[in-house]
Amino acid sequence: MSDPNKRDEREVRGASRREFLKVAATGAAAAMGAPGAAQAFDFESFLQKNFRQMSDEEIDEVVDRLSRKYSKKYGKEVTVNAVGPLDDVVYGYGLDISRCIGCRRCVYACVDENNQSRDPQIHWIRVLEFEREAAIRGIDLEDGNPYYDHETVPAEDKFYMPVSCMHCEDSPCTNVCPTGATWSEPDGIVVIDYDWCIGCRYCMAACPYGARKFNWGEPNVPAEEINPDMHLLGNRPRSRGVVEKCSFCIQRVRKGRYPACLEACPVGARKFGNLLDPDSEIRYLLKHKRTFVLKSELGTNPKFFYFYG
Amino acid sequence: MAGQPPDPEEYRPPGYQLVTWVVLGLAVVVVVGLVTVRTDHQPNSSRDYASRPQMPDATPVLLPPPEMSDDYLPCSDCHEDEPPNPTKRELEDEHEDMEFKHGTLWCLDCHDLNGRDKLHLANDALIDFEDSWQLCTQCHGKKLADWRAGVHGKRTGHWRGTKEYRTCVNCHNPHSPPFQPLVPKPPPLRPADITLNGNVRHEVAHE
Repeated sequence: MSDPNKRDEREVRGASRREFLKVAATGAAAAMGAPGAAQAFDFESFLQKNFRQMSDEEIDEVVDRLSRKYSKKYGKEVTVNAVGPLDDVVYGYGLDISRCIGCRRCVYACVDENNQSRDPQIHWIRVLEFEREAAIRGIDLEDGNPYYDHETVPAEDKFYMPVSCMHCEDSPCTNVCPTGATWSEPDGIVVIDYDWCIGCRYCMAACPYGARKFNWGEPNVPAEEINPDMHLLGNRPRSRGVVEKCSFCIQRVRKGRYPACLEACPVGARKFGNLLDPDSEIRYLLKHKRTFVLKSELGTNPKFFYFYG
Repeated sequence: MAGQPPDPEEYRPPGYQLVTWVVLGLAVVVVVGLVTVRTDHQPNSSRDYASRPQMPDATPVLLPPPEMSDDYLPCSDCHEDEPPNPTKRELEDEHEDMEFKHGTLWCLDCHDLNGRDKLHLANDALIDFEDSWQLCTQCHGKKLADWRAGVHGKRTGHWRGTKEYRTCVNCHNPHSPPFQPLVPKPPPLRPADITLNGNVRHEVAHE
C-alpha cells in the first residue's frame, strides 16, 4: 500500500483477472445455453471483495448496485448505505430485567426494522421466561422458556429476559470465521458481510448466547413490509445459506437514532448509549445500578448489560 | 512569642516550601503530558469511511402529557357548587368508576381543596396538572434522578440528537400507577415447525 506503483500494478492485475473471469464465465454460460443465461449470473457480486478490503469507491459502487437491485426487486425506492462508525463512540446496551414484562413487542419491532424473514421465520431477539423461584438459586439459561403463551403478561411468579447479540468485546464468533465475513467494528458493533458468509455456521457453534440465526430456506419478506432504509452490514435482505443476527440497528444508531427494539418497549426497560460518554444513559446505569452480563465467566466481555432498575 | 519552641501543629520540616513546589510542578507536567497524549490518540478505525453524519449534542424534548378524559374536566365544573369536605373517606357517589390504588393516598393529598383545577405540592404551592411530575417526584425522588439521567422511563428519538422524554403520567395512571397486564405478541415457532420451504401452519394441518 505504501508504494503507489505497486498498488497500481495490483489494480491492473485485478482488472485483467476480472476481465478474464468475465470472458470465461460468459463462455460457460453460452455453453450451457439459454437456461443458464436466464439465471442472470452477476459478475460484479461474484467478484466483490470482502467489505474490509474495499476502498471507499468500491463500497460506493456496491451500495449503488444493491440500491438499484433491491429497488427493482421490491418495486419501491430502497437506499442501501454504508455509513461508517462515529468518532469516539462505542455502543452499549442496557436492559432492566426488573421492568421487562415479556410482551415481545421488541421481537416484532426488530423483525420489521431489520427485514427478517417472515416465512421461514427468523427472530433476532428471543425473550426467555424464568421462574422467579429459580432466580434465587441463580439463573441457568437452559431453563429459559421462549415459547410461553399466556393470555396476558407478565405471568405470575415469572420474570423475563430478552436475549440477542451481546456484541462481545472478545467475540468468539468472529475468531472462528474462516472467511473473515464477520468482525467487530471500531464502534463495537459485530457485523456480518453477507456476501462473504459461506454458511459454515462455525460462528453459531462458537456463540454462547445463541444469538446467530441461519437462513436454511430462502428468506421471504413481503415487498410492502420491506424497510427501505438499509445498511450494507445490517438490515439489507439476506439470501439463503447465510448467518444473520442483531446489529444494534446499525442503520439507525450510526445516524444517532435509538434502536427499534428500544423505541418499541412499552415499559421503557431498554437503554442505549455511548460507553465512552460519561454523561450517557448507559454510563449512568453502569455506575448507579446493579448490573450483570450473561456468562461473564467465559470472558467474552459483552456490551449488553442487564440491570435492576 | 519569640524564643518559645515551635508549636508541633505548625511545625514544618526545613525546605518544606521547596518540596511543595517541586511536587506541584511535577503534577502539572504529568497532567499536561496526559492531556497531550489523549489528544494525539486516535482510537478509531484504520480505514477511512466516506460519510460521517454530523449530529448535534443531546437535546431533551419533553413530550406533552396525554389528553385527560373529558368526563370529569374541568373539575371546577362540578366542585364549584359542592361544599368542600376535607375528611378522608371512600368515595361513594362520584368517581366510583375509577380505580384508586396508590398506597394510602387519597384525593386531597394531591388535589387542592380550594383550587380545584390545580394540584398542590407539599409546601402548598399550586401547580397545573401538566406539571404533575413535580408532585410525583416529591415522594419518588430516586425515580426523578433516574428519569433525568434517562434510565427510568421510556425514551425515543436519538441517543445523540433529540431525546424525547415522557413525564410520569404519560405511562402511569396517577390514581393506580402499576402497569396493566398486556397481551403478548405470538411466541416464536419451534424449530420443527420451520422448514426449508417455510413455516408449518398447524391450523391448516388440523383440517
